[in-house]
Amino acid sequence: MSSLDQLKQTFFDECSEALQQIELGLPDIRDGSGSEDTINAVFRGVHSVKGGAGIFGFEDLVRFAHVLETVLDEMRSGRLAATEEIVDTLLQANDVLTDLISMSRSGDAIPPDFGSECRAALQQILAANGGGGEDDSPAPADFEGIDFVPVQINFDEPEDNSAASGENEFQIVFRPKPELLKKANEPLYIIRELRKLGTLDLVAELDRLPPLTELEADTPYLGWTGTLRTPAAREQVDEVFEFVVGDCELEITQVGAMPSFDLGPEAPAAAASSWEGMVGSVVPPDVGGDVPTMEFSPSVVPPAGPPAAPSAHAEPVAPAFAETIAVPMTPPPASTTPASMPAPAAPDQAEAAAPAPRPAAAKAPGTGATTTRVELEKIDRVVNMVGELVIAQAMLGQVVHGLPEDVSGRLVQVLEEVTHHTRELKDSVMSMRAQQVNAVFQRMPRLVRELATKTAKKVKLELAGENTEVDRSIIERLGDPLTHIIRNSVDHGIETPADRAAAGKSEEGTIRLSAEHRGGRIVIEIRDDGAGINSERVLQKARERGLVSPDAVLGDDEINNLIFLPGFSTAEKISDISGRGVGMDVVRRNIQDVGGRISLKSERGKGMTIQLALPLTLAVMDGMVIRVGSETYVMPMSAIVECLRPPASDIHALIGTPGMLRLRGNLVPLVQLCDLLDIGSSASGADERVIIITDAGEGARFGIVVDELCGHQQVVVKSIEESYGSVPGIAGATILGNGRVAFILDVEKLSDIASSQNVQTGVTRFVNGESKVAMAVN
Amino acid sequence: MPVAAVIKVLVVDDQNSVRQMTRITLEQIGVRHIHEAENGKQAMNTASLQPLDLIISDYNMPEMDGLTLLRAVRGHPAARKVPFILLTGRGDRELVTQAAQAGANNYLIKPFTADILRQKIEQVMGKLT
Repeated sequence: MSSLDQLKQTFFDECSEALQQIELGLPDIRDGSGSEDTINAVFRGVHSVKGGAGIFGFEDLVRFAHVLETVLDEMRSGRLAATEEIVDTLLQANDVLTDLISMSRSGDAIPPDFGSECRAALQQILAANGGGGEDDSPAPADFEGIDFVPVQINFDEPEDNSAASGENEFQIVFRPKPELLKKANEPLYIIRELRKLGTLDLVAELDRLPPLTELEADTPYLGWTGTLRTPAAREQVDEVFEFVVGDCELEITQVGAMPSFDLGPEAPAAAASSWEGMVGSVVPPDVGGDVPTMEFSPSVVPPAGPPAAPSAHAEPVAPAFAETIAVPMTPPPASTTPASMPAPAAPDQAEAAAPAPRPAAAKAPGTGATTTRVELEKIDRVVNMVGELVIAQAMLGQVVHGLPEDVSGRLVQVLEEVTHHTRELKDSVMSMRAQQVNAVFQRMPRLVRELATKTAKKVKLELAGENTEVDRSIIERLGDPLTHIIRNSVDHGIETPADRAAAGKSEEGTIRLSAEHRGGRIVIEIRDDGAGINSERVLQKARERGLVSPDAVLGDDEINNLIFLPGFSTAEKISDISGRGVGMDVVRRNIQDVGGRISLKSERGKGMTIQLALPLTLAVMDGMVIRVGSETYVMPMSAIVECLRPPASDIHALIGTPGMLRLRGNLVPLVQLCDLLDIGSSASGADERVIIITDAGEGARFGIVVDELCGHQQVVVKSIEESYGSVPGIAGATILGNGRVAFILDVEKLSDIASSQNVQTGVTRFVNGESKVAMAVN
Repeated sequence: MPVAAVIKVLVVDDQNSVRQMTRITLEQIGVRHIHEAENGKQAMNTASLQPLDLIISDYNMPEMDGLTLLRAVRGHPAARKVPFILLTGRGDRELVTQAAQAGANNYLIKPFTADILRQKIEQVMGKLT
């Protein structure tokens, strides 16, 4: 990416933050809870967008932002009152702005009339308020008649500024010879030592640098020349080079005399006196030279009149000034290296020669935490590396445990330490990938606004727990399901204001979107106070579509879960909002694909609650290592309900199926993993087989029969999609401690495969743990 | 006459993209030593510790706006004589007048080209070589 493209990306990232500020601030302004800071923050957001857009040439964006900015300017200076209607228009304008930014970002063509309606509304607001200048175009290029301060800058003089208040200036030439490096001295350390003495200004000489192929690692090719300003004496400077003095070309020349109290011409008195008034603290007399000094000593002699300096604009200092001496700020001790100093001169020059991408630094809006922006790629690479480290460490563990006791004693201890640190490292790194769910939540208010308008309903969206953090991999998968669920809620759940009033509810419906950490998962709840699911209609439709047999008796919960079946939609007319085909079955599939669960509860007339439970991350998980035959697999712990080795008498055979397990009064259908995956089973007798009870969702349970449980461990999930595409039943792969690759099983899909295989024998899946077997077992 | 490759310039703006573009524009006219600050506090830190030949600062920044920064700079012994150019996105005549009164040496309206930047700098410091 060219650096200009990178800058554009930076700009668009800034726009996202600005939009967030605006999105957060406007509702507060609307209901009166906003402060002066709020409106200023909103103004600044739009201003930043406009500024950057102008720089990068996004003219449509500039034009729209300009009008919006003008309205906000009037508001923040108190010339325009923030009424509800006006803020609503501003909210719409923010939506237009968001779209314009989006289109500019993706390079899509912007329709010529885009946002013109909104812009007209904004201009009307301005006009009604007293015609805020029909100023469609941004600022003029120049103002006439403003007097600026002429500046006394004289660059022909040697930089004398340090020759005051006890600072020495040394010109330094430093060119290391090969011997310097051979004696294990390092030019960088020497330069750092120099830097500690004061201000170091070095320029690197690059002319001796050969092409890369001819570069020899142990030969110095660089030299440095520059100046050091320091209160230190010559001896101290010499000391820095003490050990290398014979192994390099070295010249240290002291420049300029000791402090002189000759004072240069004061800047034009007119400006000076106005500065005084402004700052409120007395400005000390000038201390010499025309260029600003680094330091300031309180013992300065008052001005003695203009020196022989060549400036033609010299003016005598106003006498009133002469008597004043003040110390407005503590002068920084000369020996400390200024914290804000840029990187050492040498690398600086190298950077100028070969510009590297720089990570931008930005403050997170409103959180108060200092943040920095790092390319995602870099973080992912680190996560990968840590994953490899975890695997390598597991392998190390295996090797160590295989050693004889007397050898392994100390090793085991050290390994424990390593394991501990690796775990901490892994946790830290994973937390870097963590993002607040707000990233997804923040799109919802606008969605609800638009839907409410389209359906002529009144809907309020409440957010809670939006700061809950979750791995980015999950965040990315949350967007679509959430959007669809909320759409459903507005479209089918919340009633029209009239219907609500008739039912004794408030005209405005509420949707509450919340997120919280619960039991090692993140639970997201979408609760509305609408009409709930119309069970009769759902059952009817299900019967019509043959999804359920006509005489089946289903409880309320069962009926509600019918909406998850593919091809289900009860909309009388397919509105273009919820559309057709993207039914709850797809939503459920999306959630299950990331190892999550979805469940719903509905109360007729009161509302509906949908709950999503998702793992905290997709990158690492707790896994149970299992063996079938000679093959090893990993099963996600989250999918395991319990493991047992029941006596053969508890297993009831059914013709053509692996049988059923009687477990605490229920019958659980069994699945032979070896059959499912088509691998030979080992010869262990029926009594030795282990059965893992898993939950396939909605209370449907089945038991997977395996040969052996080999232990559980944290497992780094590696995707196999790139190499193998999507393999049904396999969710990924990992490398075990013994160095072998093991596939991670996708339990939900396995259950589907198993049921479809069993369809001929008519074994239906469990619903709610009660057995409903079409074929009688006696 | 100031030598572009030698002068040290501080760019102050809370928006990174604008800072970078200003940097690029400065580099286009030959400036090599460019410091950056993203707020007034950082700017004052740099200005008090580094010898600077020019400060270019945005006006609209959170916490400390450009005008306040200008006044702080003008009040600081080490930095008070450093030429200061105020950047503004809104052609606000009143603001520019205020800036001039507070000791600014010139102003620039965003967005600006390399030519305009050079022009404004030369108005303040003399012809850049």
